[in-house]
Amino acid sequence: MTIIDLMTTNEPDSKLRLKVLEKIGEHKPYNCFQCIRCTSGCPSMKMLELKPHEIVNLVKLGFVEDVVNSGIIWTCAMCLKCKERCPQEVAPVDLILALRNLAVEMEAKVPEGHLKNVSMILETGFILTPREAITRKLEKFSRDKLGLPKLPKPSEKFKTTFLKALETF
Amino acid sequence: MKTAVYWGCVIPNAQFAYESSVREVLPRLGVEIVDLDGVSCCGLPVMSVNMNAFLYLATRNLAIAEKTGLKDLLVLCSGCHLSFTEAMHYLRQDEKLRERIDSLLRDEGLEYKGSIRLWYITDLLYNVVKKDAVQKSIKKPLKGLRLASHYGCHIIRPSSIGRIDDPENPRKLDELIQWLGARSEVYPEKLDCCGALLLWSHHDAAFTFAGLKLKAIQELGLDGLVVTCPACHMMFDERQKAVASTIGSKLELPVLYYTQLLGIAMGIEEEKLGLHLNRSPVDKLLEKIG
Repeated sequence: MTIIDLMTTNEPDSKLRLKVLEKIGEHKPYNCFQCIRCTSGCPSMKMLELKPHEIVNLVKLGFVEDVVNSGIIWTCAMCLKCKERCPQEVAPVDLILALRNLAVEMEAKVPEGHLKNVSMILETGFILTPREAITRKLEKFSRDKLGLPKLPKPSEKFKTTFLKALETF
Repeated sequence: MKTAVYWGCVIPNAQFAYESSVREVLPRLGVEIVDLDGVSCCGLPVMSVNMNAFLYLATRNLAIAEKTGLKDLLVLCSGCHLSFTEAMHYLRQDEKLRERIDSLLRDEGLEYKGSIRLWYITDLLYNVVKKDAVQKSIKKPLKGLRLASHYGCHIIRPSSIGRIDDPENPRKLDELIQWLGARSEVYPEKLDCCGALLLWSHHDAAFTFAGLKLKAIQELGLDGLVVTCPACHMMFDERQKAVASTIGSKLELPVLYYTQLLGIAMGIEEEKLGLHLNRSPVDKLLEKIG
């Protein structure tokens, strides 16, 4: 389903629109006059048909739930060109991040990779665990073997505070 | 200069070559780095899930860095650098937000002052160490090399919160390459994104981002690609073979960190710079340097 279709089938929701707008602080989609500079430079537009200007417009019109559920918000690579180039300081990428946060809050479908980041940080403090590097000659090297210092470890208290931080949206 | 150093997730867990080369070259240029205890992820990987959790993580690491009493913090990943810069920006603007984050930090007895100054490897070398000191350290000028530079999206954008270089025409890394005697060529795909952050949702598209950029540079016949961000390096170097098969092309482009290139020019042994750990064919480049 393309985003344009959504506009013809659904009712706008001003409450949800307000909820998104509260998340994005200084950058307001209302300022957008659809010059499409964001979309013309968007690398995800070429690859995955992301059109940031349409997302901005849909939020303006109040079709928030449709965008949140469409999956298109997860195609942004966060290159930040749209935020840099917008003449109206709308920052489509910030709006996309707000919509992603809302998707989590509304328990919409969220890509596994993003959720895994949260569980990894809870477990270890980082999104990756130390692995052995493999050379071009296929030899294995650990941090130890390379003489690199021990990795930092966040305290036990960190986990409970991080969980607390996750409770607020 | 003495500075705290924040390595992030990717470097200390998966990009040892960057860590090794930074630890080798910086002390030779009069920069002493101090590792931080108890730090965690910078917060950027959870931005999409929960902004509050992102801001907590970012500020927590800044508070730990401030506790050392040092005035400067070198952040080696462009994503982490963005994360910290954004957190500082938002907390400066919003009192309520700052109170909310402060109360979370108090759980661990931490306090965020907002006093520390952030550096990335590029602006640290360009603005603090400077050309004279870098060039004095060179034993083997890299004459005859033609290289491409890749900045990393998050270190040059968004300029509204203060980044290290021009958002549309960054030059510092190119100049750093030229300081070593090599040429840094302008190419149309210079500002193209590596795709790393799409790995969490669209794996093949992420690889295609990286692949098309590598292919374009290779077709120009350049000797290699110079990178400063560990996430970008992982896409271009470590995953080059997988990326090549995703786009159905043969890719054989040497990719290395600027600190490795600098180390080579300084005459440091290859293994100390982690050059045996690059997965792209850097041997071609090393042979050319001789």
